[in-house]
Amino acid sequence: MLELTINGGVHTLDLPVDRPLAYVLREDLGLTGTKIACGEGHCGACTVLLDGIPTLSCITLAHTVGEREVTTIEGLREHPLVDAFVRTDALQCGFCTPGQIVSASALVAANPSPTRDEVRHAMAGNLCRCGAYPKIEEAILTWRD
Amino acid sequence: MELRRPPDAQHAVAALGNGSLALAGGTDLVPLLRDGIVRADTLVHLADAVPRGIDGTRIGAGTTLAELEVDPQVPAALREACAQAASPQLRSMGTIGGNLRQATRCWYWRLRFPCWLHGGEVCHAKAGQHREHAIFGNERCASAHPSDPAAALLALGARVRTDRRELSVAELYRLPTDESRDVVVLAPDELVLELDVPLPDASVYLKAMDRKKWAFPLVGVAAARFGDRVAFGLAGVAPIPWAVDSADDLDRATPLPGTAYKVQIARALIARAFSAL
Repeated sequence: MLELTINGGVHTLDLPVDRPLAYVLREDLGLTGTKIACGEGHCGACTVLLDGIPTLSCITLAHTVGEREVTTIEGLREHPLVDAFVRTDALQCGFCTPGQIVSASALVAANPSPTRDEVRHAMAGNLCRCGAYPKIEEAILTWRD
Repeated sequence: MELRRPPDAQHAVAALGNGSLALAGGTDLVPLLRDGIVRADTLVHLADAVPRGIDGTRIGAGTTLAELEVDPQVPAALREACAQAASPQLRSMGTIGGNLRQATRCWYWRLRFPCWLHGGEVCHAKAGQHREHAIFGNERCASAHPSDPAAALLALGARVRTDRRELSVAELYRLPTDESRDVVVLAPDELVLELDVPLPDASVYLKAMDRKKWAFPLVGVAAARFGDRVAFGLAGVAPIPWAVDSADDLDRATPLPGTAYKVQIARALIARAFSAL
């Protein structure tokens, strides 16, 4: 049996070795805020935090998570970035938004006042096919407003 | 499939081979397993088995690219290569040891065409779509090695310590042959443990890609100066990281119709890198 700590709660699961964390979150635990888009680690839609570090859950085998704490978008529902994304209209279809906010939360935790270049460097792994990048940047640059 | 998490390198090596594969960050291996390109009965998770961290010129194989890109002890060429590689999430997950072993992005190989690199007879890229492919060493296979850090380590003259020997990064790679289609000389149960990266007087990494962030190199050029000597390592131009002494070596390139532009890019980046030193 595998124990995972997710958003502060401990879950005990019986999982095959090849099961990626994203599928565990969505299908075994009902945490459907984490999205699966490319499914191969390219797009960033599945980003979660492992001990605060943005990580691609679609290519992370659940059995390799170990004692690291998993934080999903559901664990960030009170984060000011959520309001910032709404206020700045930083989405169109919204599918990439959970991954965007998870990545951005790690950036502002390490660097509360990032420059535009720092935002672009830290957010380069979260693709938005609607092209909402300018407003995503604005949301992160003004997250405390 | 089974997963083991050995406590040290010795146990990890004992668990490798015979259908067991080493798993570090998993950024390349997990998709390859899922797509059936690579098969394993057992995954040997290396989290506790290989050193992680930077101590002067020594870099543990388990150190992530994200850790390398921000550490001032690391030569600029390697820092810049790591910073321009992949995406932030992949850099936080991927280790330098795993990066040296990453597979080509050739879509014929990734889509499981029965190509020469998979053990077949022909390189489909040579007759097909090959804009991202090789300009050197492409007689049998036109795939391009995608690692930015490997090119930097090649230019820097880095050495690799495995569980059983020491060798240079230049010796680590070799063009695949009819007898062995692998691009490294390591045994199936051999584990990269540590790198030793000499400190140059100056170094730089320049990269041409299809967009400004998060793309594999069309051409990557690492340059390192030690005294009067300048060494170059190129990414994205051959099935393995490719060393050149100067832009003149590009006269010996063997580009395909769709990769001739890479010769011009490499020439320009080598000149820029040289003047940046």
